[in-house]
Amino acid sequence: MQNLFFKRILLVGFVLTMSIQSCTNLEEELYSDITADNFFKTDEEFIAALGQAYASFGGLGNHGNLWSMNEISSDELVITTKGGDWYDGGILINLHQHNFTSDNDFFNNAWGFLYGGINTANRLIFSFEKLGTPESKVFIAELRAVRALWYYWAMDAFGNVPLVVDFTAKEAPANATRAEVYNFILSELNAVIPVLPTSKDSKTYGRMTKWAALAIRSKLYLNSQVYINQAKWAEAAADAQEIIDKGPFSLQSVYSENFAIRNGGSSENIMVYAYDKVFAGGFNWPMMTLHYASQGVYSLADQPWNGYSVVEEFYNSYIDPAKNPGPQGNVWKGLATAPSTGTLDKRLSNFVVGPQFNPDGSRAQDPGVDAGDPDGTPLNFTPQINQIFPNAWRQGGARIGKYEYEIGGNANMSNDFVIFRLGDIILTLAEAEFRRGNTAKALVLVNQIRKRAGVDAFSSLTLDQIFEERGREMFAEMTRRQDQIRFGKWGGTWWEKPSTAAKTNQIIFPIPKPQLNSNAKLKQNPGYN
Amino acid sequence: MKQRFLKHVFSVLCFSVLAIGMANAQGGKISGKVIDAGNGEGLIGVNVVEVGTSNGTVTDLDGSYTITVGANATLSFSFTGYATQNVVVGNSTTVNISLAFEQQALSEVVVVGYGTQKKKEITSAVTSLKSEDFNRGTVNDPAQLLQGKVAGLSVVRPGGDPNGGFQIRLRGVSTVGANAEPLVVIDGVIGGSLSTVDPNDIASIDVLKDGSAAAIYGTRGSSGVILITTKTGKSGRVTADYNGSVGMESLARKIPVMTADEFRKVPGAPNLGATTDWLDLVTNTSYSQVHNLSLGGGVNNTTFRTSLNLRDANGIGINSGFNQLNGRINLTQLAFNDKATFTVNVSSTTREATYGDANSFRYAVIANPTMPVYDNTTTSPTAGGRFGGYAQRDIFDFFNPLAIAEQNIHDGKDTRLLTSVRGDYSLSDDLRVGVFYSSQWESDFRADYSPKNSKFGGGFGRKGLATKQTNERYNELLEATVNYNKSIGASSNVTLLGGYSYQDFVYEGSYMQGGNFLTDAFTYNNMGAALDFANGLGSVGSYKNSNRLVAFFGRANLNIDGTYYVSASARYEGSSRFGANNKWGLFPAVSAGVTLSNLFELPGVNSLKLRGSWGITGNQPNSSYASLQRFGRQGNFFIDGAYVPTYGPVSNANPDLAWETKNEIDFGLDFAMLDNRLTGTIDYYSRTTKDLILLVDVPVPPNLFGQTLVNIGELSNTGLEAALNYNVVSKEKFSWTAGINLATFKTKVESLTSGDLSFGNGGVLFRAGMGSPGQNNTNLIRVKEGEELGQLWGPVQIGVNPNGTPQFKDLNGDGKFCDCDDDRTVVGQGLPTLTAGINNSFTFGNWDVNLFFRGAFGHELWNSYRGFYENLETTTVNNYNIVNTEYLDQKVTKAQVNSTHVEKGDFIKLDNATIGYKMNVKAGSGVRSLRFYLSAQNPFILTGYTGIDPEVRFTDSENGDPLSPGIERRSTYFTTRIFTLGANLGF
Repeated sequence: MQNLFFKRILLVGFVLTMSIQSCTNLEEELYSDITADNFFKTDEEFIAALGQAYASFGGLGNHGNLWSMNEISSDELVITTKGGDWYDGGILINLHQHNFTSDNDFFNNAWGFLYGGINTANRLIFSFEKLGTPESKVFIAELRAVRALWYYWAMDAFGNVPLVVDFTAKEAPANATRAEVYNFILSELNAVIPVLPTSKDSKTYGRMTKWAALAIRSKLYLNSQVYINQAKWAEAAADAQEIIDKGPFSLQSVYSENFAIRNGGSSENIMVYAYDKVFAGGFNWPMMTLHYASQGVYSLADQPWNGYSVVEEFYNSYIDPAKNPGPQGNVWKGLATAPSTGTLDKRLSNFVVGPQFNPDGSRAQDPGVDAGDPDGTPLNFTPQINQIFPNAWRQGGARIGKYEYEIGGNANMSNDFVIFRLGDIILTLAEAEFRRGNTAKALVLVNQIRKRAGVDAFSSLTLDQIFEERGREMFAEMTRRQDQIRFGKWGGTWWEKPSTAAKTNQIIFPIPKPQLNSNAKLKQNPGYN
Repeated sequence: MKQRFLKHVFSVLCFSVLAIGMANAQGGKISGKVIDAGNGEGLIGVNVVEVGTSNGTVTDLDGSYTITVGANATLSFSFTGYATQNVVVGNSTTVNISLAFEQQALSEVVVVGYGTQKKKEITSAVTSLKSEDFNRGTVNDPAQLLQGKVAGLSVVRPGGDPNGGFQIRLRGVSTVGANAEPLVVIDGVIGGSLSTVDPNDIASIDVLKDGSAAAIYGTRGSSGVILITTKTGKSGRVTADYNGSVGMESLARKIPVMTADEFRKVPGAPNLGATTDWLDLVTNTSYSQVHNLSLGGGVNNTTFRTSLNLRDANGIGINSGFNQLNGRINLTQLAFNDKATFTVNVSSTTREATYGDANSFRYAVIANPTMPVYDNTTTSPTAGGRFGGYAQRDIFDFFNPLAIAEQNIHDGKDTRLLTSVRGDYSLSDDLRVGVFYSSQWESDFRADYSPKNSKFGGGFGRKGLATKQTNERYNELLEATVNYNKSIGASSNVTLLGGYSYQDFVYEGSYMQGGNFLTDAFTYNNMGAALDFANGLGSVGSYKNSNRLVAFFGRANLNIDGTYYVSASARYEGSSRFGANNKWGLFPAVSAGVTLSNLFELPGVNSLKLRGSWGITGNQPNSSYASLQRFGRQGNFFIDGAYVPTYGPVSNANPDLAWETKNEIDFGLDFAMLDNRLTGTIDYYSRTTKDLILLVDVPVPPNLFGQTLVNIGELSNTGLEAALNYNVVSKEKFSWTAGINLATFKTKVESLTSGDLSFGNGGVLFRAGMGSPGQNNTNLIRVKEGEELGQLWGPVQIGVNPNGTPQFKDLNGDGKFCDCDDDRTVVGQGLPTLTAGINNSFTFGNWDVNLFFRGAFGHELWNSYRGFYENLETTTVNNYNIVNTEYLDQKVTKAQVNSTHVEKGDFIKLDNATIGYKMNVKAGSGVRSLRFYLSAQNPFILTGYTGIDPEVRFTDSENGDPLSPGIERRSTYFTTRIFTLGANLGF
């Protein structure tokens, strides 16, 4: 009996020992996660991988990223401190007033956005090179052009950015000079433009084409004087001319249709990022610019944040008959609660301005209206803003209306974000020709744009007029900062922005502090800490 | 082996025969009764042993015993928690004994990892609490039993949310990257969930404080270990106990804000015509009840205890509370001539909760007091026609507080099942083997609905919004142990333990959220009716992950002459969560103690033990797969007219990811003096946590992803702990026992860098944004290498500028104030330097009184409400109410958080006051005992803090960030005061 029992004990012990041996395995089992080991095995998975190069663009429409950084530091937009709202540690005012400090979160957000895109492109190029199929060669050309676009934005904003092209590099990179990055972008574009697709159809919609690559190169040349201190007007003109002559694009007859909810059919847009409220969120403009009570006006699912306003003098450049001659009619001006007379530029669709009404026709109400605001509780976006800080009126300033807002929409718009379009290219050509001395050709081109806007043609042209026309045409399309720098206006003064003419180093932003801290090889741009 | 076993059997037999042989013919049958000196009740299960023999018995249900002894016999009566008595039998045939309860007795048994030890043998810092030491009143969470009772153990729950969890920290903050909560072991189940145990079923809680004691739990012992032992049945008649109580809870503290009349006097304040006390509207007096019925006993070889616990708790917030039913069966069976013991424990809990919404408190504080509660119109400034008739204002960050609480539904159902089985077998007197298996299953179900007319919670914008989610956690533990226990000579012995442990964890869950309902009738019960899903606007998700821990462990304890004690242990443990190169870690510990009172004559000192210990414990990452390069869904890609999903990197690989280790030394002194009336323990510890597991920014490129989980940095803690207990008066009619425990804390961030990598910017981090409105990008916390953890950071206000903005000090002396970190400084310290618990227990005849005070000192708190709303800024005045503490300066017209919003958090509160009366029970009445009590929790607090609760905040409640202590955020549930009337009935 006892013997038997002990045998049993031994048996149990033995079984236990065996199970112990099989139970020291510490490999991780994955269920809802994927690693390189269990992914990238099928064609669909590779396409999904390519898509990541484009999905990276999804930050374009966010608050606090590349677009915001470029826009609120220009004379187009401002985020005022509305009493207790939107002070945010002063970083918004600092951007507007050109007190650029490297710890401003917007810079680091933008940097992360840009290098996220660059790194994704590098990784995908590496993967497709390893694959080596004919299809992958096409993908690689496309990806190199996408990467060139990221570098163009990065070099434009931060100047001396590190140049990383090898996915397998293990060392943290040092800065490259602005000229080195410029040359890299140029050589990449030169290499891939001949092999990129040229069609404009559903296969190329939202993707890199030869035309988009030409647009990048044209703008690179246009800003050559700024970037490498060497003018390249003829080259800029040549690329713009090729897009206009050979590209499958024409000016959309109605300006605002380029920015409609369903703008996929625009004949003018060269490259877009295809946002969608369901599939590709992140285009948050209704939240960023509209007033709290605009939730009712547009029946929005979410309450807007009342942030971005249009700088009044910029808005006035549309309605001012001296600067922008054209048919006169009722426009909203200053602090007026009734319309007054001004130029009826069709591009006023760029703004939401004046009294706001709910879908049932009732006036939207702002019960929290500031005591000094003459409008009182009925919601009225007056172009004039009383002050930038500390108590800007919450109804102050025209709002961004560039992209059509969907009635019943939510925080994410379905409009496709325009990265390049023909209107920009026409003005690029006009400017390049003007600077080469071909004033007559430039005038024709500018008037082509003015005609579409329903305003009078210019009879003569100055450089300042080209600058202002670009402003009216390209509002909120992330070109203003670049234009102001190229036209020598960046250090100038505008509303609540003192002169920073002496700070010539500020034509590029500081390298963000967190980047400097995580990479000892990175050096700060001149004049910044 | 069998032969040796037989040898042992022989030796025992021989010894017995010898003993009988020596017995004098005068020996005979002795009987008697053992009673409790305190209440005169019979004590069940007292060990009665004839000294020098193995002859013994235990007392029965009435405390009676019968034993046959030899001549000149001495009987020893021993019972856990009572002083052992030896009685020379002489010629008597009846020996009646009353055993006195031994305060903090050194003979007390302490539960340690994988076993028990006598308190006198303990060589590391361990605190043991029995059920009579626990906190009283309405206690719904086992953690609350311990609150303030153990020096160095902080148990906090800011506010009085009945569904809120307690944060537990032992010896301050020892980790900021991994798990900072102590490991809970319930009846041997490692990582047991406190929610599987009802407080009524707990017999004792032991806290392993130092590295040496915790090292046997290696990997998860870094933040301390809490061992919970549930009540078990005792041999003898089956007894039944009923404990029941009803509690009444009311609001204790709130944020002072302007009344409607005060607000109307503020220049420019919009008078909306009504007078509303919002704070009163969103709170109410609530009632709770607790019922516990248990049956326990034992016959032959079986002992059991089974209990049923019913809790119906209601908070002061509208719709906040829960119903909980917990059942437990603990069964022990002896077999094979008592050589084998089988233990089965099963516990099941279901909790149905309604969470209310603490945001109703937040918005009640800031709601304009002249705003009406209801407004069914569509055009007035407070029109609520679209919002179910609740008055609303179309302004930023404001919602009708009552509507938040009444319209939105937040329901939950938690299910817990903890099962364990243990088998032990004595191969010989010295050698015992055991196998243990447990399975713990936890399921949390959450469902929310925001109706179509609810402005808060998304219901209005989304046309009804329903959310449903489940999270399930499952783990299985298998352990095998071998124990060897050998006496050497009269008073020395050696104990050896070896074991193997295997534990497997699985987590899985799903989530769905959709809006656009035709009707509110479904609430969250018909997700398919949400049109969002058809329109692609609904969201659905699910996940599953797992991890595993495997360990080998051993321990040796040596007791030399009952004077010198040495203990050494090691655990070699591997976790699947680490990188391929570093899965395994070794966690050794050594400790030793000497009972000085055995060596020296110390006047007035009954016992004095000096001990020292050293141990290494570890911590693992909070999530699985952290060392792998993973890819995740990264939005969609528009190709060929359709969107396809894209995948990209979401983490970097780190095959070197290794254990975070904590190295701790502890020196302690245990003493008893003045005839054992004064007992105490003093401990000093110093610990260093290295290789913290933190997510560090890395350059992209060369990395794929911008952050990598790495081992980086170092944290150190030092502290002094003291616990004293003094039996002031110990008379039959009156007794008074006073106890105090004190603990000091110091936590320093030694390093945040490692080679090229740095957590934060060059060893400095700014964290914890103040938030919206208007104070985003305004950090409240600085973490700096070489300095203490918990620095509150901000500008220093020195006055008010003519334009109403606060005037700040130019700290860097450049002649102007810059709203940047150059002109900000450390304006407070978020972690306490001292905590204290003070207990006084009295008995007067049948009456008993207990008063327990608890305090924390040296910490400061950011008062967020003041930082946002204590000013006359136009936004505040227009939109909100004004916080109206003694600090309000009407000249300030700009909300800008600064040094004046930091307040001292020092407090001392009467945590609990209980008065009880024990009825005299007539013999034969069928009732064993009956006691009634009245208890008050948090009846008063002494503090200068003007916010909701001066309690310590170990983490930022908005995101759980352990590096950002000391912030009282706005959605804190208000504190409460509870009065409880209860009865304990035994029969």
